Amino acid sequence: MRWRLIDYSENDAFMNMAIDEAVSESVAGGSSLPTIRFYGWNPAAVSIGYFQGIAREIDLERCVGLGVDAVRRRTGGGAVFHDPDGEITYSIIASERLFPKDIIASYKEICGRIVDALGLLGIQAEFKPINDIVVNGKKISGNAQTRRSGVLLQHGTVLYSVDVEKMFSILRVPDEKIKDKMIADARERVTSIRQQRNVSWEETYEALVESFTKGREIGISGLTESERARAEELASSRYRKKEWNWMR
Amino acid sequence: MRCEKIKGGKLVCIEVALEADKVRSVSITGDFFLHPEDRIASLEESLVGTPASISQSEAEGRIKSALGDAQLIGASCEDLARLFKEAVR
Repeated sequence: MRWRLIDYSENDAFMNMAIDEAVSESVAGGSSLPTIRFYGWNPAAVSIGYFQGIAREIDLERCVGLGVDAVRRRTGGGAVFHDPDGEITYSIIASERLFPKDIIASYKEICGRIVDALGLLGIQAEFKPINDIVVNGKKISGNAQTRRSGVLLQHGTVLYSVDVEKMFSILRVPDEKIKDKMIADARERVTSIRQQRNVSWEETYEALVESFTKGREIGISGLTESERARAEELASSRYRKKEWNWMR
Repeated sequence: MRCEKIKGGKLVCIEVALEADKVRSVSITGDFFLHPEDRIASLEESLVGTPASISQSEAEGRIKSALGDAQLIGASCEDLARLFKEAVR
């Protein structure tokens, strides 16, 4: 089975989500190979889960003030702050037949690649169901999956060097989550690669590529013309639209 | 609005508007997962029009049949029914 690797590139939040969807469609239609994609968010952005209420999760006024975009994902899960220098996002898009049918087992398998990448960097991390990766109990990676038309899409972030002050000035942390985790200060709940080890962004990226491509036959290429066109269309017809982002 | 972080699961919030002791609208939000995602609309719709006195097990039945073969991750139908019942109260 041949895979396509789409090398790291930066886009705005709306295009990033539109590209993941356009690639899912082309993989479902059989016109593209199963795909591993790495990307960054520029300008910085917050993505919220499909079922989240936008006003409850994000301080939108502050987002506007800081020039931070906000987009609703088509995957569930929580709100994530994406800073171009602070993290690396991946997506893996392939037939769901290539993964365990059980959702948690498939999270574990894909997140295992991130755990291994962190291991290559000398960081001991573990998968924490449902969809997190933690180092000493602190979250270093969040992940979200959906399945549609026989295709599994999982995207997630690995925190490289997080600006926690900025992150938590934008994200509202609901009381119920704080109570559950027994830590009043949300900043104590996250960590980043730089907090663990003095490794460069490039080394981090190389480790992720190595781990995600291990044992897979890989060809590096970009989006096809039709994927790019479809992504542009989805960005303007859905992801940039208030009807979508303010759906809840 | 009734919110709860489900033990071992995700945050679920249910907001209900009542009119003449009947449920006029339902909004279910949170960081849970549901495949396919757009099934949430049928789920919410299945609870609209129910009397405020609906039992938890009846609400759970409606939720289950609205979800059909959809997969809910991070909360159970029982959790949703319980939160709905609490939100209606």
